[in-house]
Amino acid sequence: MIEIAGLVHGILSVPSLRIGEGHTALIGENGSGKSTLLSLLSGIAVPHKGRITIDGRLPRQVDVGWVTEFPDQSILFTRVDDEIASPSRFAGIPCREVERRVDAAARLVGIEDFLPRTVRELSGGERALVALATALSTDPEVLVLDEFDSHLDGETAEVVEEALSRSRCRYCVRCTQDMATAARADTVLYLEKGRVGEIGTPAAVFAAREQTCFYPPLWRIARGRQA
Amino acid sequence: MDVRLEGVTFRRGAFTLTCSGVFGEGVHLVSGRVGSGKTTLALLLAGLVRPPEGTVTRDGISSLTLSFQNPEYHVTEATVGAEVSSYGADPAEVTALCGLADRREDDPFTLSRGELKRLHLACVFTRAYDLLILDEPFSSLDCVQKKRVCTLVNERKGGVTVIFTHERQVLPQVDYLWEVEDGQVVCLGRVPDAIPAWRHAPPYLRYALDAGVVPENIRFQDAMEALCRTHD
Repeated sequence: MIEIAGLVHGILSVPSLRIGEGHTALIGENGSGKSTLLSLLSGIAVPHKGRITIDGRLPRQVDVGWVTEFPDQSILFTRVDDEIASPSRFAGIPCREVERRVDAAARLVGIEDFLPRTVRELSGGERALVALATALSTDPEVLVLDEFDSHLDGETAEVVEEALSRSRCRYCVRCTQDMATAARADTVLYLEKGRVGEIGTPAAVFAAREQTCFYPPLWRIARGRQA
Repeated sequence: MDVRLEGVTFRRGAFTLTCSGVFGEGVHLVSGRVGSGKTTLALLLAGLVRPPEGTVTRDGISSLTLSFQNPEYHVTEATVGAEVSSYGADPAEVTALCGLADRREDDPFTLSRGELKRLHLACVFTRAYDLLILDEPFSSLDCVQKKRVCTLVNERKGGVTVIFTHERQVLPQVDYLWEVEDGQVVCLGRVPDAIPAWRHAPPYLRYALDAGVVPENIRFQDAMEALCRTHD
């Protein structure tokens, strides 16, 4: 369980929040605190006040895979295989295991062909896929994705969704502006000016947002057809 | 007024992009898979990359801009207000327009990515560029802001507007659809005739097409209206 208590950080003010295992989608307006919350969950930032724990541990004590909103800017290495290998190498994992992890992560995301290439040859969307493979390469307990789907076309997004469903991370927390993506999550959390608006199943949260554009387009069509 | 690409070929390693076509007055939407060459095409249209083969001719275009996906690439000033002024626009007016009136004295990099994108696009649309190229203008924006961008696109008077996007929820009215597929840039034609052939149509349009109707345009409300007509 991810537990947040007495959190005050930037725009965020969350007295109490519990997020269960599975896929959680953060939605909300620009500036509502989604990326701030993700940076806290990933351990990149530390709360000014309050506490966040993941299964009783601080985020920095947990293996977290994190993909930023502009992943191409966080790539460190020239070659794709070196980039995907980097978290394992930093952790001192033996070479053969590193190779296995790189191959497995690239296969999971469908980018085996990229491995011998340089990052410079890749497009922005392809670099985002490299960042995702890098994050998944250590089999993290928690995967944090910041608007990852905004880099992807529909077909590639399907491949990524499949990869995420096959990954073994216990918690996948992502913010998205695509309500169809959010509708697939186990839990949806709507943030409003730094506070929790609603949290629950997609059906419950979207029911409360039906009069807004924070509602899946196909759901709206289905309701229109029933009316 | 148009941008004409004739026999353009661009190579980078194993990747090759070829294009012949004319981007005339109106709104053009270009889609394609990850790595298909959309940003390369945007750079070619803007003249930031010269084609090794073929020609790119801009006829009747005296001003142009390319808005990058990453809004921070455009920041040149230390405060939000000064950033707006650098476009020759009125800071009070533009920041009020994009809901950032109380942030005028702030460093642009203290804004969230979505807020910075909103600010950047509001500045861009204060200028009447003959050629406006928008690379992923909807990324980082919430649905309310995406709708605002659609309004800005559709209220733009004249000129050539080219939008490169993966957006699947909120789209503006457009005149032409293009796709980049297997290294080839293809004009699918004028909307609505081009819609059935659009491989990257968002799910709501695909739903309407599967129901046997072709919407008038590519917006969500166009799909809804077309589906309602099947009820009548």
